Amino acid sequence: MNSFSLKSYLSSNIDIDEMEISAIVEKCTTKKIRKDQFLIRSGEYCKHTFFVESGLLRQYSIDKKGKEHILNFAPENWFVTDRESSFFNQPSVYYIQALEDSEVVSIDEDFIHLLSEKFPAFTDFNNRLLHNHIRNLQNRIDLLLGANAEERYLQFVKMYPDIMLRVPQAMVASYLGITPESLSRVRKELALKNLKR
Amino acid sequence: MKTRTVELVASPREPHFVGDGFRVHNFIPSAYRMDMIRMDPFIMLDYNSLYEFPPSKYPKGVGVHPHRGFETVTLAYKGKVQHHDSSGGGGVIGEGDVQWMTAASGVLHKEYHEEEWSKKGGAFQMVQLWVNLPKKDKMSKPKYQAIKFDEISRFELEEHAGIIEVVAGVYNGTKGVASTFSPIHMYNAKLNKNGKVNFEFPSHFNTVLLVLEGSITINGKEAVPTDHLALMANDGEAFEIEANENAVVLVLSGEPIKEPIAAHGPFVMNTKEELREAFNDFNNGKFGYLED
Repeated sequence: MNSFSLKSYLSSNIDIDEMEISAIVEKCTTKKIRKDQFLIRSGEYCKHTFFVESGLLRQYSIDKKGKEHILNFAPENWFVTDRESSFFNQPSVYYIQALEDSEVVSIDEDFIHLLSEKFPAFTDFNNRLLHNHIRNLQNRIDLLLGANAEERYLQFVKMYPDIMLRVPQAMVASYLGITPESLSRVRKELALKNLKR
Repeated sequence: MKTRTVELVASPREPHFVGDGFRVHNFIPSAYRMDMIRMDPFIMLDYNSLYEFPPSKYPKGVGVHPHRGFETVTLAYKGKVQHHDSSGGGGVIGEGDVQWMTAASGVLHKEYHEEEWSKKGGAFQMVQLWVNLPKKDKMSKPKYQAIKFDEISRFELEEHAGIIEVVAGVYNGTKGVASTFSPIHMYNAKLNKNGKVNFEFPSHFNTVLLVLEGSITINGKEAVPTDHLALMANDGEAFEIEANENAVVLVLSGEPIKEPIAAHGPFVMNTKEELREAFNDFNNGKFGYLED
């Protein structure tokens, strides 16, 4: 399995030395979690941002009827957190769970402050991440409101090229807000359209 | 001719389930030192050691998944597997059969315990091996070689030592029926107690022995118990194995292809760009369609 360290992620995105950043990153805890284990459950307070070094996480909610809705997948190199809980100090309404055995770095607020103080360039980078996150959320709302199943699916595989092969189709359907049958139909139609033998 | 020595004897790792139908120990590429480069052209070896599956009304197995860039070889020792693919092909791999599937440019397939077998359950023992393809053949047309137990060539050893079933390559003039894209020898050595056999492969051929039944001693020194795998060093050509009790040993030896490897999930290509293309093609339906 591929793995990406937070250290090299930061040093490849910001103009700072990997050695310099080591000392700070080492203050973060790296957790090994098994498939199906939770980092956050609904009702708990989320105190960290999680960076996935290897493996795969999902963030989801459960509605009143007991149905799951997946908000995000977080494969290698992704950050995931419940900002509502961590920033506004409210109990989380989400679950963050491992879909594969994973290694994640738990990042707390102090770490963010420390990085910003030491490396002004990090503040810009963090800001860009936040805006990128907002852009993705907007895009997602727009697709959920106005796009058909195929358009949603094509956008999904562009963003997450290997997730179709890593999770059950029902989870992808949940992310897309369509039924597993619709997802199956979309994939079948694409095959009929694109298969050239 | 120099003696080929044993580099290491690997014990089976913790088993994991592939789907719900295959309980496997992975040796290649996750065991100590046995990565894709060291083991070239063998890029994956999963071993379902002898395991008793209880009866099941619905057949257990692995759902639809793609492959591109290599071949999958399934050797059924105990139990039966049924398979289907996106080109409409399919069949049953029965006890003693070998299925050699050249995924090459890409197939979607699924593999399940055969329906009637599943209803009764029973002893299940299989090997699935991935053999890499040379760059020039990675995007060739997919094909199957369904090799029935009866079609496998046999070489009778002297002094009732046992028999060598030659699946691919050649042993002492007996040729296997499987065609391969790079030089590979694949045998099942079925040895009687105290039976001895000598093998000889060019020293640069990567070579492993997997003991499926009984136990053996290599070169009169190294003992290899059941379910263990011996990785042979590349320091010579010839070696001898002796069965300490009736034994079944899978012998694999292949010439390294020595091309760059870019692998992720079910795709094994030469470059990252080709990997991206594989995911893209899969996501866009270019591997076809197969109902789960």
